[in-house]
Amino acid sequence: MATKAIESNYQKRALPWATIGKIALLLFFILFLAVPTYNILLQMIANPQLLLRQLIIGLTNGAYIALIALGYTLVYGIVELINFAHGDVYMLGAFFSLSLVGLFHLNEDTPMGVRIPLILLILFLTMFATAMLNAFIERFAYRRLRNAPKLAPLISALGVSFVLQNVGLLWGYLRLPAFNGVMGTNAVAPKSFPGLLPNTNVLAPLQDVFGKGFTLRLSVRDLVVIIVSVVLLIALYLFVQRTKIGKAMRATAQDRDAAALMGIDVNRTISLAFLLGGALAGAAGFLVGMYNGTVVYTNGFTAGLRSFTAAVLGGIGNIMGAMLGGLLIGLISALSDQYISAKWTNAVVFGLLVLILVFRPTGLLGDDVQQKA
Amino acid sequence: MNLRTRAAVTGGIFGLLIALVSGGNVGYLAGIIAGTIAGILGTSEPAPKTPREGMQLGVLAGLVAGVLAAIGVALRTWIDVSTAVVGASAATLPMLLAGTLLLAGACGAAFGWVRGMPHPWDRNGLYIGIVALAIAFPFIDQALKLQFLNAIIPVLIFVLMALGLNIVVGYAGLLDLGYAAFFAIGAYTTGMLSSPHFGVNLPFWIVIWIAAAVAAIFGIILGSPTLPLRGDYLAIVTLGFGEIVPISVNNLDHFSLSILGQQIIPDIDLTGGPKGINPINRPSFFGYNFQAAEPIPWYFLILAILGISIFFILRLRNSRLGRSWAAMREDELAASAMGIDLVHTKLLAFAMGATFSGFAGAFYGAFISAIFPDAFRFDVSVMLLCMVILGGMGNINGVILGGLIIQFADRLFLPKFSELVQHLLQNSGNDVLKEIDFASNFRMMLFGLTLVIMMLVRPEGLIPSERRRRELHDDSPDLPQKQTSLYDTEAA
Repeated sequence: MATKAIESNYQKRALPWATIGKIALLLFFILFLAVPTYNILLQMIANPQLLLRQLIIGLTNGAYIALIALGYTLVYGIVELINFAHGDVYMLGAFFSLSLVGLFHLNEDTPMGVRIPLILLILFLTMFATAMLNAFIERFAYRRLRNAPKLAPLISALGVSFVLQNVGLLWGYLRLPAFNGVMGTNAVAPKSFPGLLPNTNVLAPLQDVFGKGFTLRLSVRDLVVIIVSVVLLIALYLFVQRTKIGKAMRATAQDRDAAALMGIDVNRTISLAFLLGGALAGAAGFLVGMYNGTVVYTNGFTAGLRSFTAAVLGGIGNIMGAMLGGLLIGLISALSDQYISAKWTNAVVFGLLVLILVFRPTGLLGDDVQQKA
Repeated sequence: MNLRTRAAVTGGIFGLLIALVSGGNVGYLAGIIAGTIAGILGTSEPAPKTPREGMQLGVLAGLVAGVLAAIGVALRTWIDVSTAVVGASAATLPMLLAGTLLLAGACGAAFGWVRGMPHPWDRNGLYIGIVALAIAFPFIDQALKLQFLNAIIPVLIFVLMALGLNIVVGYAGLLDLGYAAFFAIGAYTTGMLSSPHFGVNLPFWIVIWIAAAVAAIFGIILGSPTLPLRGDYLAIVTLGFGEIVPISVNNLDHFSLSILGQQIIPDIDLTGGPKGINPINRPSFFGYNFQAAEPIPWYFLILAILGISIFFILRLRNSRLGRSWAAMREDELAASAMGIDLVHTKLLAFAMGATFSGFAGAFYGAFISAIFPDAFRFDVSVMLLCMVILGGMGNINGVILGGLIIQFADRLFLPKFSELVQHLLQNSGNDVLKEIDFASNFRMMLFGLTLVIMMLVRPEGLIPSERRRRELHDDSPDLPQKQTSLYDTEAA
């Protein structure tokens, strides 16, 4: 009880300062952002089709951000570690799948009958590889630090992130003949990913109905990314909610010691969380590679931070929250790209992250996370 | 292998690597470094009882290290001669070898002698010796024509920043992942107030204080909303700020504000955008104008700033505020119960940490005479964190050592090393190997590995503060097994 009293005393003392900080942030918002926001709203109303197109892009981005965000949330939910290396696992997933694409001679001209099974195979192999990678990272860099002060694994994760980023860079030098030239000629430059998903417009028939003014596009590419992501998200959700192993994961997340007493193998459960997160990140890497058509070794950092923001926005540790957060971040960054400027998008996302953490650290769907943080 | 042998070999390996990658007159420097390290480490524990005994031990250790360094010199000469590098010759080798050995022995002897002195002087003498080396360095550099001075000034700037970060992370226990932002703020303040950019030309000696003050104010502004946050969340918010600041300075070349069609602020160029602010005025000192071509005054200026900062930081650490930081870091709840005002203590930690970064930023701006948003990215923050952790969080000597090691590795050792490897690869005749650009690519990987390995093997750093060392080793007998984490106390 005494601790509670002291705690609340600190909160009370921190309150005026924190309030000043919050008011300053709000004033900043009103002064500098309210007018642009108003202008943006006007633009949105003026051209609803453009808005819809951006929403579709946002939805697609949101789908893969949610996939990555789940990795953060699963891991944080169980070991309370921000796995900074996760974004780079996603990036390596993209590189791995690109190498496989080269290995299997896949390109735009491969007939559909061959292409679809191969794409599924690559998806599976990539997910497997990144899952193993993520579990290996946990085994090598985090497990020994599990009972160390929290800072230690966090810094270790930062270190792993830098190592993986450079592995991605070195991968660019891997111009094996077997890869059929997918790595390009410059190791550092973005690699171009063959457009395996057709860019045909699904909404083309509607154009005949509404006439020339109808320019809205929804390509097969968008659809595939959204569908695969949603299937994976649902599968994960069912796995965690319905199976016995999923139950063990939730129990471990709630109280590791009690779970161990109930006969749950905690080490294995934690490894499983890393495996699942890694698999989803790998899938995201492959999907984004096909969707965007490029892979860069620096992708991991930005994508990781965006996804982490998504996880925090939804309420870290909460699976549904990560999905919702991913979707919102995808939409926000697509809108920011269009209506503000692509060069400000990262600042918008990070600003949002700061705002969420300051005003509602529990996220949208989280409840009692503040104790954990 | 006993401790003294290990110390001598450690120093020797440093010397060998330095001599091997650089070649030429650097061999002498390698001898000095090897002898110094061997002399200090070889006489550390148990400490020699008299200066004479210390000197004997030091000479031995220094000579062992010197032999290793000389092997490096010889190897390098052999490589140069065998691959026919222009200007390489074996003629100067005997002199080089003798000099390396002699300098190593002399440095070992000197430091060993100092270590054998009666109590306060074994320690003070060591510091005096190191300061003397630091002061003599430019002249050694000139005498040997090494031209390292221009590379060393940025090293010292980074050491200064690492000391500032150490206040926030090491003393107050607040993990700050966006520390480079304050560096940027200090540098841009200098750029705006002391350059033709806005036509404001304040003298450097005033601007450096303004830059520090502005950085401190930003430290408080960015710190205040994070007060209720702890641990991971604090790290993430600081990371967010650390990303927003460079994006902002990169994009604020067109800044305008209009409300309801009324233009409040016309389109102004605040930061120069990606082009940065160029040029920035250089300082002048009683009629002497600092020049880019003359590094020695810059070196002594940054040395002076560094010295004053170390003095301030030491005083801060031992002050009431510094002890409050330590208490807060150990246990916020208990500290609060003891009457420490956590709000003030935290905000002051952010502000003081940012101040030193502001100094560093101001000096950097004036020294480079230009600033670009690229210089303040996340890598810089991580590199600084890496220095603090490698050396030993919360320990000034450790942080300085960590900073020197990482920065030297980054700016001198790795480029030279990559030159050597590149050179060998060119001669190897393999096409794939030829292309790999070692210097720029392996830097960050090395940092990453440093972070991971340090955390796994020696989380307390090279020279840990005593308290930190006990905290981080869970199995030490004088602590209970289950330990609450460093950066937060879990409310039951």
